[in-house]
Amino acid sequence: MAATLKAGRLPGASSKRRRMNWTPYLFLLLPLALYFVWIIAPTFYTIYLSLTNWNGVDPIPGFVGLQNFERLFTKDRTFSEALLNNVRWLVVFITIPTTLGLGLAMIFNNEMRGGRWYKISFYSPLVMSLPVIGLIWGWVYHPRAGLLNGFLQAIGVADPPGWLGDRDLAIWAVIIAAVWRQVGYVMVLYLAGLKNIDPSFVDAARVDGANRWQLFRHVILPLLAPVTTIIVVISIIDSLRAFDLVSIMTRGAQDTQVLANFMYIEAFNNYRMGYGAAIAVVLFAISLIFIGFYLSRVIRDELEY
Amino acid sequence: MSRNKWFIAVLLMGVALLSVVSVLAQDGTVAYNSYASDPLPRAFDEKIVAMWNEQHPDMQVQHSIINHEDFKQAIRAYLLAEPAPDVLTWFAGNRARFFIDRGLIMDFSDAWQAEGFDDVYAPGFNALATVNEGKYFLPTSYYWWAVYYRPSLFEKAGIEKAPETFDELLGVCESLNAAGITPFTIGARFRWPAAAWFDYLNMRTNGPEFHINLMLLQESYLDDRVKATFANWRKLLDAGCFVEDPAALDWQEAVDDMVQERAAMYLMGAFITDSYPDELEEDLDFFRFPIIDPAIPVGEDAPTDGYFIAAQARNPEGAKAFLAFLGSKDVQQMAFEELGRLPTRTDVDISQAEPATQQGIQLIQSADYVAQFYDRDTTPAMAEAGMDGFMRFWDNPDDIDTILQDLENERLRILEEEAQ
Repeated sequence: MAATLKAGRLPGASSKRRRMNWTPYLFLLLPLALYFVWIIAPTFYTIYLSLTNWNGVDPIPGFVGLQNFERLFTKDRTFSEALLNNVRWLVVFITIPTTLGLGLAMIFNNEMRGGRWYKISFYSPLVMSLPVIGLIWGWVYHPRAGLLNGFLQAIGVADPPGWLGDRDLAIWAVIIAAVWRQVGYVMVLYLAGLKNIDPSFVDAARVDGANRWQLFRHVILPLLAPVTTIIVVISIIDSLRAFDLVSIMTRGAQDTQVLANFMYIEAFNNYRMGYGAAIAVVLFAISLIFIGFYLSRVIRDELEY
Repeated sequence: MSRNKWFIAVLLMGVALLSVVSVLAQDGTVAYNSYASDPLPRAFDEKIVAMWNEQHPDMQVQHSIINHEDFKQAIRAYLLAEPAPDVLTWFAGNRARFFIDRGLIMDFSDAWQAEGFDDVYAPGFNALATVNEGKYFLPTSYYWWAVYYRPSLFEKAGIEKAPETFDELLGVCESLNAAGITPFTIGARFRWPAAAWFDYLNMRTNGPEFHINLMLLQESYLDDRVKATFANWRKLLDAGCFVEDPAALDWQEAVDDMVQERAAMYLMGAFITDSYPDELEEDLDFFRFPIIDPAIPVGEDAPTDGYFIAAQARNPEGAKAFLAFLGSKDVQQMAFEELGRLPTRTDVDISQAEPATQQGIQLIQSADYVAQFYDRDTTPAMAEAGMDGFMRFWDNPDDIDTILQDLENERLRILEEEAQ
């Protein structure tokens, strides 16, 4: 591609280039300044805060070294609960929405009657904001008037569970609401991936006598590998920053705490800004591994979406 | 080159726009942040502001209503901002004291004196306003907590009178269960309604003095008296007094259980009537939380709300004028008549009050001690851990020893933090 572009460049372009050279930097100046003020500086400030016991009000934060991290990893039971819930979220997120989304994309990739309508209906949850989804699912899970228990009672379940009130089920109930939203997203990414597959590969496989399963398993799936990588990494990042649904549906009660909500409560409810910052730093460190992997992958493959 | 000119023009326009905005923000307006986000209080709050704005065209109030829960978490950011909002809604007691101690709330003694509030505010509320001789907090209304119940359901279960002792309460639970009615509903999805149970059981078991010392973190959660409180709570759980899955409902959803006659009682604040259908209020009454030990003083929860001025307010004079308006007789009279908010001023005419209100006022006046509620009386971090513990206890009462150990650890941690 690059070679074609270079060959196709208009004569005279290179002489114009020298004069225009500084313009991109001028345009970048403002975004970079904003990026520094709003992203880079707060990141380092948060790392600094995580080493203090600042309560959000005192003028000078007291320096406590690594004490916050020591407490997090050795004494704080809520932290391990939150970490475990994030891992649960992550495992569900990289398996279920990915599989379902791929399946739906395979179905809707074929021309079918009303196909567009189905695609839109699976994609539409993504258009809604997460708090709205949290509210809707809160009603779905309502123990007496909710859609779910109404259905269960109609088919004869005598004592349906209390979902969000049940310690064993609550976190899964929240994750399912998140999955419901994620499936449509994954589907759209896979649909885009499928459209990019060169039909000649599929035709060649058909000519060689591959059946549908072989075609999918040995031709389409390997060709979708770059998309799958991106979807898995996006799912991991999305599950690590899970916050909205937990905050709306349970506020972290009934063993549904996740790291982001735990951080929010420690910092803005309990006014332990330093401790909250320490949780944020841990979350950042975990995310950084996956983000680094994602970026290296994207840069290498030069995929454009 | 014209492209660069465009760029510079856009940049300049942006700068110009920003300066216009900051000029606008510096005129004589008063910024008022309120947490009155429930429908009825919200409508009232908007009406009050509209009244003020009509009377003061040169000093308009810019009104922001923030969701009640979010407001509680955002208030520190508001108070540290420069400029801070001028007037804010808040809670009396410890919650206000925290900010007063850190110099974030403005002393408005001059306005208090000028308005003659000393003569018209009831002594208890005058005390709530005062810290070290200065006036920092304007208490304007309070509400009582009590056990709300439906007399018709009591009748159906053959219960003749509201329970006055703990044993009678257990008897009521038994009769209601026998009649197929859930005794107590509770919506504890966001946990705080469970804290009311702890407040009352602890005050009734150990007396208000021990309770408030526990709230101030001066007593241990491993104390035998705390265990006695949970033992009483356990009796209610074992007697099947409560609705199934309390944590699945929020407090308003739990009201439906009473409306639809599935449950007979609800330990709730007087604001329950805001969410209760008007046409059914005939059949809604309340009684004092039953006495466990007649030998100890009686404590009641009566959280008090009000207003204060941020220390970093942009327009202190305007803020004081608006505060004086909020604390005026007219506004309290309206709040009393339209929302049933109990006035803190003694000169508000309550003769038109319904018997229920008179009963509520009497409930609070006859109490030996008035507490503010668990999450207002103790520190936010302790309240967070405590309410979490109450819900864990609710689900697994056998874990009480671990739960109390966790609460004690939290208490010691907070004391350590405060000492630093």
